[in-house]
Amino acid sequence: MEFSTQDKGRYTEVTPSGRLNMVAAPKLREVIDGVVSAGGRRIVVNLAETTFMDSSGLGALIGCLKLARQSGGDLRIAAVQPQVNMVLELTSMHRVLTPHATAEQAFPND
Amino acid sequence: MKSMTVSPEPRRALVVEDDVDIRGLLVQILKREGFTVTEAATAREGLEKARAGADLITLDLNLPDGDGVEVCREVREFSDAYILMITARTDEIERLTGLETGADDYISKPFSPRELVARINSLFRRQSRQAAADVAHADERQRAAEVQQNLLPRDRLALPDYELAGRFRPSRSVGGDFYDWYGTADGLHLTVADAMGKGMGAALVAATVRAIMRSVATQPNLETAFATAARATEADLEQTSSFVTLFHGRLDAATGVVGYVDAGHGLALHVMADGSAERLPSAGPPVGAWPDQTWAAGTVQLEPGDALAIVSDGLLDIYETVEEFTEAVAGVVTASAGVEEACAALLDMADVPEVADDVTVVILQRSPA
Repeated sequence: MEFSTQDKGRYTEVTPSGRLNMVAAPKLREVIDGVVSAGGRRIVVNLAETTFMDSSGLGALIGCLKLARQSGGDLRIAAVQPQVNMVLELTSMHRVLTPHATAEQAFPND
Repeated sequence: MKSMTVSPEPRRALVVEDDVDIRGLLVQILKREGFTVTEAATAREGLEKARAGADLITLDLNLPDGDGVEVCREVREFSDAYILMITARTDEIERLTGLETGADDYISKPFSPRELVARINSLFRRQSRQAAADVAHADERQRAAEVQQNLLPRDRLALPDYELAGRFRPSRSVGGDFYDWYGTADGLHLTVADAMGKGMGAALVAATVRAIMRSVATQPNLETAFATAARATEADLEQTSSFVTLFHGRLDAATGVVGYVDAGHGLALHVMADGSAERLPSAGPPVGAWPDQTWAAGTVQLEPGDALAIVSDGLLDIYETVEEFTEAVAGVVTASAGVEEACAALLDMADVPEVADDVTVVILQRSPA
């Protein structure tokens, strides 16, 4: 799994591509930890290129959300693909990690 | 007297390289090191020959018909061969080591034969050390697997008018799935859980959850009992930043009513006698996933011939949608002669390479009238 990080001004966009599984989970945490340490408060994880997520991947997303909130920020997810959406709905985690249609829409202007 | 020597299996190497001169050099070096060598000049040919089996693959990063990184990832899907990536640019190596390519080592062109041999020997030394460590761990894993299998319920419940069966197959020697049941004055209690991740860590969480769920068996109110268990579990999970999906049901045998709480599991199916099925949605996130959750109880009425099938997400991996999954499971339950057969058939369905996760199936069926 590869990660790209982009400063979008209003938020930082992290795009993981590939399979978010047990192998990739610690790497996602590392990337988000880096963003938070660098002062990023609003983080959008763009899941447009994430084709698969297992329970470890979901665990990593939850851990990242907690990390962002603890530092006074927030983390939102966008462009969720079918398999990942299925995992979010089965586990009812979409109530906590609500998917947004696009990264731009995740943090509306306020 | 002459002692007998056992010569080891010859090691197989595959050289994937489009440059004829470099390929020739690699082949020559590897043959001298005792490898039987096959060659490929393109990515496509390389993939084909890799499927035939290899212990070592040298892989050029820039192939005429494809990117070496992609070839490497594809090879990794089916092969444990030691992969040595070869690139013409030193600065590429830095970029590559940051990626999840699946390669074991990198070397830049031009390389000296001595350097190449040193790298290969070090790769194989690492492998033999790993093999020794694996043997030591295998024993321990075997014992852990036995402990875990022994935690599964073995008592056949003597409930008139009901049949109950469960199966668990971990993806490794132990896993994060478990199921449990025990008889009560009114019928039975049933738990199916899936701890995040795989292997030993998940198995430890599963064993803890089993004990906690049993400890609330005597609390008469289902929601209160579940909430008590969830709070205790959360305290343990906090330390490991893990979570567990849980389905807990209580059957009143006389009426066929099952009261249940589903925390992030979402894969319990009510399969009706006529073959139709309804999935019971989860009432909230998995236990330990998010603080301050409550889970509302639901009820399902088992009429004669109806079944309750609770499956772990391992089996879901072979279906595109939850609807397809529901239909397939209902089909198997309806077509099977009994719950044992249905469990076996569902486990067989999951016995394909796509399923990399633990697989658990528990089926409770009320006998037809």
